[in-house]
Amino acid sequence: MSISSAPPTPAVRSPASSNPVHELDDVSVMIGGQGGDGTLTVSDLLGRYFRTQGLYIYTSRTVLSRIRGGHADASVRASRNPIAAVKPTVDLILAFDQEAAEIGRAELSSEGWILYDSSVFQLNDPRAVGFPFATLVGGAIGQPIYKNTAAYGAISILMGFDPGRTRKVIEDRFQRRGGEALTKNLRALELGQTAAKDAGITARWNILPGAAHDLVLTTGNQAAALGFVVGGGRFFAGYPITPATEVMEYLMRYLPAYHGVVRQAEDELAAINMVIGAAYAGARAITSTSGPGLSLMTEGIGHAGAAEIPLVVVDCQRVGPSTGQPTRHEQSDLTHLVHLGHGEYPRFILSPENPEDAFYLAAESLNLAERWRLPVILLLDQALSQNTTTSPRFDPSKVKIDRSGLWTPEELARRAEYKTYEFSDSGRSRYMPPGTPGIWGEVTGNEHDEWGHVSVNPVNRRKMMAKRMGKLTAARSELPPARIYGSDQARLGLIGFGSTGGPVREAQQLLAAQGIPSRYLQLRTLWPLPAHELAPFLDSVEIAHVVEHNYTGQLAGLLREVLPQYHAKLRSLVKYDGFTFRAPEIVRSITEGK
Amino acid sequence: MAKSFQPVQSTWCPGCGDFGVLAALKRAAANQKVPQHELTVVGGIGCSGGIHNFLELNGIHALHGRLLAQAVGIKLANPQLTVVAAGGDGDGYAIGMGHFMHAFKKNVSILYVVMNNETYGLTKGQASPTSVVGFEGNVEPPFDAVLAALSVRADNFIARTFSGDPKTMTKILEEALAFNRAGRGFAFVEDLSPCVTYNDTFKLWREKILDISTLPGYDPTDRATVFRLCTETMEKGRIPIGVMHRPAEASTAPSSLELKLLPDRIGPARADIGLEPNLPDYRKLLQAIG
Repeated sequence: MSISSAPPTPAVRSPASSNPVHELDDVSVMIGGQGGDGTLTVSDLLGRYFRTQGLYIYTSRTVLSRIRGGHADASVRASRNPIAAVKPTVDLILAFDQEAAEIGRAELSSEGWILYDSSVFQLNDPRAVGFPFATLVGGAIGQPIYKNTAAYGAISILMGFDPGRTRKVIEDRFQRRGGEALTKNLRALELGQTAAKDAGITARWNILPGAAHDLVLTTGNQAAALGFVVGGGRFFAGYPITPATEVMEYLMRYLPAYHGVVRQAEDELAAINMVIGAAYAGARAITSTSGPGLSLMTEGIGHAGAAEIPLVVVDCQRVGPSTGQPTRHEQSDLTHLVHLGHGEYPRFILSPENPEDAFYLAAESLNLAERWRLPVILLLDQALSQNTTTSPRFDPSKVKIDRSGLWTPEELARRAEYKTYEFSDSGRSRYMPPGTPGIWGEVTGNEHDEWGHVSVNPVNRRKMMAKRMGKLTAARSELPPARIYGSDQARLGLIGFGSTGGPVREAQQLLAAQGIPSRYLQLRTLWPLPAHELAPFLDSVEIAHVVEHNYTGQLAGLLREVLPQYHAKLRSLVKYDGFTFRAPEIVRSITEGK
Repeated sequence: MAKSFQPVQSTWCPGCGDFGVLAALKRAAANQKVPQHELTVVGGIGCSGGIHNFLELNGIHALHGRLLAQAVGIKLANPQLTVVAAGGDGDGYAIGMGHFMHAFKKNVSILYVVMNNETYGLTKGQASPTSVVGFEGNVEPPFDAVLAALSVRADNFIARTFSGDPKTMTKILEEALAFNRAGRGFAFVEDLSPCVTYNDTFKLWREKILDISTLPGYDPTDRATVFRLCTETMEKGRIPIGVMHRPAEASTAPSSLELKLLPDRIGPARADIGLEPNLPDYRKLLQAIG
């Protein structure tokens, strides 16, 4: 088979052997093309390869809200150190369309290269080298769709991959589909590798191996779904919405094996009310949604608050309001969640910082909801929901199942009365789901007395409000604690939540390299706002930048409201263009005030 | 045994049609020997939705229009329970219309009783989706829930009763409960339940009702025929009542959603979620993650 039909496009700066080889311990590849070009496959193959090299991985994608077509790109980052953010610069761009090259060029590192499909377009850039991947593969295999694997082959030469492991990745990935898929992909791999070698390309980088092994590569959505299974979540009702749908899809796969039920409802109103019904019946019940769905669920969540029905709502935040930017990143639901609904009721808002945290907090959110009989919001954001990160394997034996919110039939048999809303010092009343002989109870969103009888008595109203709202104080010590990263001597403070921790912690390293020590508080409970954690932290620093993805500085605003005495120390550092922070942006904001 | 929830005195106006439903539901449940602790009533918002407050059993007061979604959630979480959703025509056919139509399609074995009084009684007599033209300035034609129900090709039990005839109502509610308890699917019973304060139609409706089963060609397994008989009856100014759809005896395949999803009838609420017994499975599940 001749590959001489595929000469590389002449490049001013050739990636040939006369150039020096650069060592890299943190590499980023951006792959872009039209929907259907197979960019995600290349991203997946590269991720798999880098993992065989013991590296930590972070992948992200940018897609448009449409089924097929339109430009889409993916990025893979691999590093010897743990990472939870997109790399600020791109080392290699693989462009299946012109847009990819244009989008990526601005972030291309000084040693970077663009590899592109010259059968689709021509690129006049000294850093670019073109191969006609589509025609090359189309001619040899008859199906141009294998061009992505050929491109992976060319990358493997340019990046100096180990040939055996490069091939093994293809075998592992396509083994399951077997036969033709495997043979053709292996053939495409060879075509790409040979084309690169024939063009005189040799390894430009030496990607240093790492020691990250036995990790899992997951999204926050998948991790949360797994956490719900292990935490005893057995009922899910939802409505498809980006970027939350995968929670439902994973649970559809997992739950039937555990007597569980997953339903796609007719709308979010039905979904939240089905969850309410299931929770009333005693199941640990969950839904997941994003901004527009959350707006509809607000009615039901308030009902759960008034009627003391335990449930967990995953909010995967995206750009709002209205339809906003469905596939883009934002953290702008916070103030809505804190005040969610008409009237007043307690709710907990838990905010995991990465997929591993999402797994354990998802499980714990079910305990907290049932024990305190209230709605719990598990707050994710698009990057946390959909980007993949390597984490230590999730350990189910570290999860606890706490059913202290429920009576047992034996306990009730020894009691004089079963009241669904019995007063107690903590505000907690234990519950017995329907189905126990001799026991029944009333659950209602009307203001009620301890028995669930409708009540307009002002004395009862005051006591019931105090019972419910008091949970926010009584539960404080049980809620997930914040994490502090960095030097305890630092005068520079940073505060954030959700996936923002990834770029912030990277920014801390850049600051440290400039001789600026810093201290970062990653909040994991956002409501009730942990004043007992925030106050000592704010005392310890001179200034605190509140880093978040929204326009108005919602977390900063809440901090000023709850802790007004620290007003002068707080600075708002916001981004709201749909993309996540890059670490240098945070550094520039802090050091140059922009 | 601990003392449980005790019902309160009804807040309905004397003579309200809903008393007929309360009495018939009690009798039907007793006749069907539904264990008290397994009977759960989900109330909607409106006068009729308060019915669970007047019954000695498990109750949940839902949000306006959302009672069916809650009832579906309850039954899918614990298929052992007998679940009755009860509300009014505004609750079910206005704000709850989306959930109403989907309930037929879902075909979960719950009983939905709509007390239709053709008005919003609790908010003092506004027009409802079933109000006749001219009532309180209404110019829109009334919605007919039975015709809508017949339009969904699912194995549901569909009937209409009249509060002025509690005996027939009891019989039909019994059949509906038996249908549910056999896991055959959704049962919808619309009861014509006059509001004696804002739309007292007892006398009018007694004259207008017509038992559909007395008409030639009546066959409750044939929805097209029943649909035609209903529209013909309505065109004559009468109101058809009786069993409107009764699916032919079920085949061996389950027709209700809960039995399709949960053949062993355990379900989410009764699953053992303890860590110990599940740990080997959880480890396998987590090991398979990439």
